[in-house]
Amino acid sequence: MEFRIAADELKKALNRAQGVVERKTTMPILANVLVTAHKTGVTVTAFDLEIGIVSEHPAEVVKTGAVTMSAKYVFDIVQSLPDANVTLKKLANNYVEISSGSAHFKIVGTAPEEYPKLPREENAPLVQVTGGTLLEMIKKTQFAISTDETRYILNGVFFEPKEDGKVRMVATDGHRLSLVERELPGDFKLKGGVIIPRKGLLELKRLLDEAPEAECHLGFAENSALFKKTGLTMVMRLIDGQFPEYQRVIPKEGEKQVLVPKTRFLEGLKRIALLSADKSYAVRIGLEENALLITANNPDLGEAKDALDVAYRGAPITIGFNARYLIDVLGVTDTDEVAFELGDEHSPGVLHAPGDRSFTAVVMPMRV
Amino acid sequence: MRAIIHVDMDAFYASVEQRDNPELRGKPLIVGGDARRGVVVAASYEVRKYGVKSAMPMARALKLAPHAKVVRPRFAAYSEASEQVFGIFERYTPLVEPLSLDEAFLDVTASVGLFGAPGEMARRIRKEIAAETGLPSSAGLSSVKFVAKIASDLAKPNGQREVRPEETVGFLAGLPVGRLWGVGAKTEEALKRAGLERIGQIAEKDAAWMEMRWGASGRHLWELANGIDPRGVVPDREAKSVGAEDTFDEDLTGVEALSPHVHAQALRVGRRLRRAGIKGRVVQLKVKFSDFTLLTRRSTLPSATDDGQTLYRVVRELLEKTHEDRPVRLTGVSVQELGTGEGPQLGLFTEAPKRSDKLNAALDRIAERYGTKAVTTADIAGSDEPERPKPPRKPR
Repeated sequence: MEFRIAADELKKALNRAQGVVERKTTMPILANVLVTAHKTGVTVTAFDLEIGIVSEHPAEVVKTGAVTMSAKYVFDIVQSLPDANVTLKKLANNYVEISSGSAHFKIVGTAPEEYPKLPREENAPLVQVTGGTLLEMIKKTQFAISTDETRYILNGVFFEPKEDGKVRMVATDGHRLSLVERELPGDFKLKGGVIIPRKGLLELKRLLDEAPEAECHLGFAENSALFKKTGLTMVMRLIDGQFPEYQRVIPKEGEKQVLVPKTRFLEGLKRIALLSADKSYAVRIGLEENALLITANNPDLGEAKDALDVAYRGAPITIGFNARYLIDVLGVTDTDEVAFELGDEHSPGVLHAPGDRSFTAVVMPMRV
Repeated sequence: MRAIIHVDMDAFYASVEQRDNPELRGKPLIVGGDARRGVVVAASYEVRKYGVKSAMPMARALKLAPHAKVVRPRFAAYSEASEQVFGIFERYTPLVEPLSLDEAFLDVTASVGLFGAPGEMARRIRKEIAAETGLPSSAGLSSVKFVAKIASDLAKPNGQREVRPEETVGFLAGLPVGRLWGVGAKTEEALKRAGLERIGQIAEKDAAWMEMRWGASGRHLWELANGIDPRGVVPDREAKSVGAEDTFDEDLTGVEALSPHVHAQALRVGRRLRRAGIKGRVVQLKVKFSDFTLLTRRSTLPSATDDGQTLYRVVRELLEKTHEDRPVRLTGVSVQELGTGEGPQLGLFTEAPKRSDKLNAALDRIAERYGTKAVTTADIAGSDEPERPKPPRKPR
């Protein structure tokens, strides 16, 4: 194997690999990338047995072949090269020589045969999707994904195609839930929905962020997801299991409704949460005539209060919430105002754009 | 001024045996192990006059009282009685500090308004213990912990004694210095050599002299001798784990032989958790083999529990993985990461109360009235004496 490639191209490939490779693993080779020189160019593969990314890049290939190397160290090297181009050459015993301008590295590699094989999902029915929409949907749900590994069903986002060319994505950690529904037409050939794991989703987000407007395709087959765009293929294993019946925890309409200026609400929550007890983010939200109050008290520090003008005429109420949960939602809300619906101290609060429930967040109260 | 009651069961294990077997009542009774190798675990009052004491080698005890009846300890029965007794304490105050299976300090300062004077409360507690467990107990009352403990000891058997604050120094004065907390055999010897035999002699000394002679502990002894001891009753709420373990009379081999014991331990842990109103998420199985090698295996549950059956299912799995067909001397089940099971954050998918919660509540009520053997699982009921253990170190 020997090829010459633009350092920026190799950097891009290795950057894509960083999120996938596993450093803390019993299989050291999973910390490596597989570099393969074909006649037409070079591919860099990263795979953690769950998620695989194959990145294709133009290169002047002198000799085809393959080798695996530490994803981290080679990335560090490529980021600090003196020249715009770099040559990689496999030597005896899987050593790799990396040369750029005056700099030379001789790196320990591993035989390519030892690298685990990615699942081939070429039969997945691919649907062309708008990258920007998919990206928006990920951003509006990822924060609600559970990180509790004992609730693995909730460690991902539920991806559920609806009939009218729309797709719904739902995430919940058991305390709050976020749902977004957007136009994503095409037949995914799915019965019900699938659960996309958190890590894969975050990698997908990174890849979409590179160029949100690029043409891309998404498909599902055999409990895997396949994502493709020019020069890139990603496969990931889906979470196997039944996503909870989320519909029944979304209240139809709250007793008390109020329109709240988003930015003021967001800033107020951040401010007041500074005084929440034990950094718990526990705050009280109070509604009284024409005012929304945010209060917190910390036995060691003191107390804090902020008030927002809102048009409210109902009965006064005070409910405890984790401010973090509300901040997460407001942070990805696009409208200037947000509709906030409340029941009682034990009922969920609901946030959505005024008159539009296509992005709805449900947040359970805290006992305070 | 604090009101502290020290309640101590009288010859606890022996009393349980005499209660359960009428033939032993009023007779010199030794609860203990093997006549050649064992030690006296408990001695009834009838045998104490021959000089038999706990922890004495059985061989010696039987030389002193050759006519004494001897029974093997049944620790399961003792822990059950202990659980009942502690349940009674908790009716009067949440501030209960257990010292062992059969004695505890109760801080009843705040309960006086509800139940009357401390002396009256102690009488009621002892009456309820007698009525509900059939066992005698004694109580000591004072504003100082160690004085209450001495008072209960002097009130035995089946009595109670109150030492009022103004009587404290006089009460202590005549007692040997060995009665003070922290005075062991060596210190006692040293104090005696200095001519201090009675607590009153220490109290009369100058505090500074005591401190010069014995250092900081000298001042401390002087304070104790004058009835000054600010230590409060520390309830066992902050326990890091709740557990039950038993050493078997004979080593057991095989999952099937061990599992009724582990099951009974898991149910015991469940009962203790429920009584304390807490739940735990990390379950640990402890196995000590006949060669004293110790093995512990733990498992984390998806959510905290106080259900003994859930605990059993987990420890049974651990037991199957752990077991190596070697003889086992002891097993223990414990639960860690304790909490109320629910944080302040409410859940979206909160379920209705589980059926097991209702069942446990009913079983707990039955156990409180008729004992834990009244309703139990078939494997435990069917196994011959499933719990023949050594004393648990301390109840939680």
